[in-house]
Amino acid sequence: MTTPLLDVRDLTVTINRDGRPITALDKVSFSVNPGEVLGVVGESGAGKSITGAAIIDLLVPPLKRTGGTISLNGDRLDQLSPKEMRRVRGGKIGFIFQDPMTSLNPVITIGRQLCDAIETHLRLGGNETKRRALDWIARVGLPNPDVQFKRYPHQLSGGMRQRIVIALALCANPSLVIADEPTTALDVSVQAHILQLMRDLHRESEVSMMLITHDLGVIAKMADRVAVLYAGRVAEISPVAELFANPSHPYTRGLIRATPMPTADGGVQLDQIPGAMPGLGAVPPGCAFNPRCSRAQSDCRSVVPPLVTQESSAFSCFHPLERDVA
Amino acid sequence: MTSQTPFLVLDHVSKVYRRNQSLIERIRKMEEGGTKAVSDVSLVISEGETVGLVGESGCGKSTLARLVSGLMAPTQGDIVFRKDPAGKTPRLQMIFQDPYSSLNGRWTIEDIIAEPIKVHRLRRGRAAIRARVEELLVQVGLSPTDAEKYPQEFSGGQRQRISIARALAGEPQFLILDEPTSALDVSVQAQILNLLRDLQKNLGLTSLFITHNLSVVRIMADRIGVMYLGELVEEASAEQLFRKPKHPYTRLLIDAAPNMDTSDRSLHPIAGELPNPAFPPAGCRFHTRCPFAQDVCRTAAPPRKATPEGGMFRCHFDLDLSKEVKTPPLAKVKTA
Amino acid sequence: MTSVVNTPSAVRPRRSRLSKLFHAVCYAPGATVCAIVILLMFVYAFVTPLFSQNPFEFAGMSVLDSFIPPMWMEEGMSDFPLGTDDQGRNLLTAMAYGMRTSIVVGILSVVIGLVLGGGLGLIAGFVGGKVDAFIMRVADVQLAYPALLLAMIIDGAARAALGAERNVTTAITIVVLSIGIAFWVQYARTIRSSVMIERDQDYVSAARITGRSNLSIIALHILPNVMAPVLVIATINLGIAIITEATLSFLGIGIPVTTPSLGTLIRNGNNFLQSGEWWISVWPCLVLVLFVVSVNILGDHLRDVYNPRLRGRS
Repeated sequence: MTTPLLDVRDLTVTINRDGRPITALDKVSFSVNPGEVLGVVGESGAGKSITGAAIIDLLVPPLKRTGGTISLNGDRLDQLSPKEMRRVRGGKIGFIFQDPMTSLNPVITIGRQLCDAIETHLRLGGNETKRRALDWIARVGLPNPDVQFKRYPHQLSGGMRQRIVIALALCANPSLVIADEPTTALDVSVQAHILQLMRDLHRESEVSMMLITHDLGVIAKMADRVAVLYAGRVAEISPVAELFANPSHPYTRGLIRATPMPTADGGVQLDQIPGAMPGLGAVPPGCAFNPRCSRAQSDCRSVVPPLVTQESSAFSCFHPLERDVA
Repeated sequence: MTSQTPFLVLDHVSKVYRRNQSLIERIRKMEEGGTKAVSDVSLVISEGETVGLVGESGCGKSTLARLVSGLMAPTQGDIVFRKDPAGKTPRLQMIFQDPYSSLNGRWTIEDIIAEPIKVHRLRRGRAAIRARVEELLVQVGLSPTDAEKYPQEFSGGQRQRISIARALAGEPQFLILDEPTSALDVSVQAQILNLLRDLQKNLGLTSLFITHNLSVVRIMADRIGVMYLGELVEEASAEQLFRKPKHPYTRLLIDAAPNMDTSDRSLHPIAGELPNPAFPPAGCRFHTRCPFAQDVCRTAAPPRKATPEGGMFRCHFDLDLSKEVKTPPLAKVKTA
Repeated sequence: MTSVVNTPSAVRPRRSRLSKLFHAVCYAPGATVCAIVILLMFVYAFVTPLFSQNPFEFAGMSVLDSFIPPMWMEEGMSDFPLGTDDQGRNLLTAMAYGMRTSIVVGILSVVIGLVLGGGLGLIAGFVGGKVDAFIMRVADVQLAYPALLLAMIIDGAARAALGAERNVTTAITIVVLSIGIAFWVQYARTIRSSVMIERDQDYVSAARITGRSNLSIIALHILPNVMAPVLVIATINLGIAIITEATLSFLGIGIPVTTPSLGTLIRNGNNFLQSGEWWISVWPCLVLVLFVVSVNILGDHLRDVYNPRLRGRS
């Protein structure tokens, strides 16, 4: 049993709407082991991005963390002062945002931005900092680092910008990287490049990664374990092969079957889940998925199912899907 | 198939977006430059058929949709619809990508859906129009009472259903779908795709379906065209395209999208970056990224070659790309 | 994180008009006070003349009652709560007549600016190209002149053209036109940029594919979507228009002295400011300030309400 690098317990985030607190994240618990890639998957409004932002205390008001503990290497992140948190952010925890256009400062050269990030967290001194920055530009696969060093973000293509964002996230040798939809804004052919780069860097640096995405294909290729979120709660956490082969939560299976993908038997699947995810403040009593679930019974409509661990997986469902004997 | 009169013919269609010339350029009467968003595309759509167009951003697929819809005029070439016996061109409708900007936020759902009915005078009288609106709302899976609401009260998926109802209200003979599910979540996307498939089947619509998602187009289209930097590089039946692609780009595009197979976790990026569409490479536009590229590809534009199965591709070579195919042919589509 | 904000909320209960009003008042107490002030001033300006003699007509003047200070001062009289001016006019009623003229001039000139600027902005934004360039260059040239100076030029030109012989109605018409023309640019610019955004929205494309004509697309789709920010500007401009009118009148080139307006009242009172009869000019000044400040605060609030960035999708 390894001690987890990041341990999140009962993380609760509320949003204040017209003076009434509405739960956006409801007791979310998961952990990331050293060197592991944890995929966090869910549809928009499931709370995946809020989870990422809550860990590094970047919630935008009226969102507010109201409960739970977050520990990184045994240190409680939720008890840090804003100043101490700033050192963790970009230092111990790197962050890759969805939109490379808005996560880079448009009026500062990418070399300067990299140097600033390295200098803030590693304090190496001028020459060494610049050498590292050039090294990172080369490592993320941009040709002619000396030329790129002096360029501005708008002079780069979307894929190259996202490479720089990845360099910024990793340059301070973090122990954890949170990547929030890193390839969603990119084209298919560029997406594969970025995923390959993230995989290579992950293997080199042994950094742990939290990969937030809505794309099950990305999850299948990148993640070691997967947490499925639904309406601000964890539906299921399983090793990736297990999740796709034998999902326990009906929502997980619904999500997999609703994704248009060529299947092994040559068809293209397309099973829909009826209805839509409940909006904020409209989560039904009991299991949040019960109105859309074909297996829902009376207990699902009254009691919130707890997250129960079974072998390597955990799921919150009273009537989980039976395991196929493979 | 070929005996049918073509419903729509695109004949060597090009569209150039002119850029503003500087004063000096204008004084010197320099030749007007610009981005060729769509370059020499020829395509035939038969009645009752759905043709899909796939490609990455900047490939010109959305521009082509706007050309076909008549929102823009082509710079060169012709777009000819078959006229009915009365000499009228068929009625068009279009479904857009963004479910937020495609509905007028100041109109009620009833007014929105009734607009094509009123413009084309398909029903007369308030009661008849209202009844038709309610019928359409039910047809797309919404409630008749939604007619009095405003678009702001609906989610993205529901708004897309309203867009579909509006398109159907015009009783179109031809439907253009421009990335209709790209802005939607997976479970909602499946609902909308199933709805569109049912409508295709029941109404016998002829349509042009534009998307960047190969799996989606495989479900929806009878024939598929693949576009790259403004050119139509391959066109074949859906089954043929996935089983035996003839253009290297098609092959690489199919492999690049990560599937849900966790046993083979290899990624298949396409080498290089997408060139700027304003300055496409000389010769074959794909040569900068193509693993099969030879000297001839860098100098000469590849000819348009027809396949025995009725498709076409633009490549100097007749490559056998089916060997790398790991995905078996499209057998049947499962629906809920 | 925006996805959270955009999540469609649960079915929101439909509120009655009364409770909507109640919520609006609770939400913005400052703007509510201003709205009430404006309403009271409208009542004061338009109801008082129904019950009182126009102090600017001969019967309303009485030289015997001239220079009476406000009633709480030593020589004050309760018949003239705010005092009288040099001609013995009751300032309380004179200001009502003055307000009435000022408000009418203000509203009419805003309407003229709105129609002129709105129309040109609509054409510029929708047609684009050379038409747009021409209209906007004219606007740029006009912006190089201060609006007040421009109003004076137009006013002067009109007077020169019509000659010295003119009645009060012509004078007011000239003032209204010159203020309206001086302020069209702002409306044109706002409408033009909004139209350019709306013109490219997919719902406009959908209407076009359906077969709507340009004219009906403008009237039915685009206009309703671009009016909100313009109405906000119009509200704020009402204050500016009234100030401009007062300034023109104060300078003696607007409303003739024989007709009451806030500007003419202030101008008249200004002559006696040095000799101690402060009330003749201070009251109309205060009324002017109160009205314009109220209009501005209300306009600011409306702008916040209609801010396109705040006008969320949920």
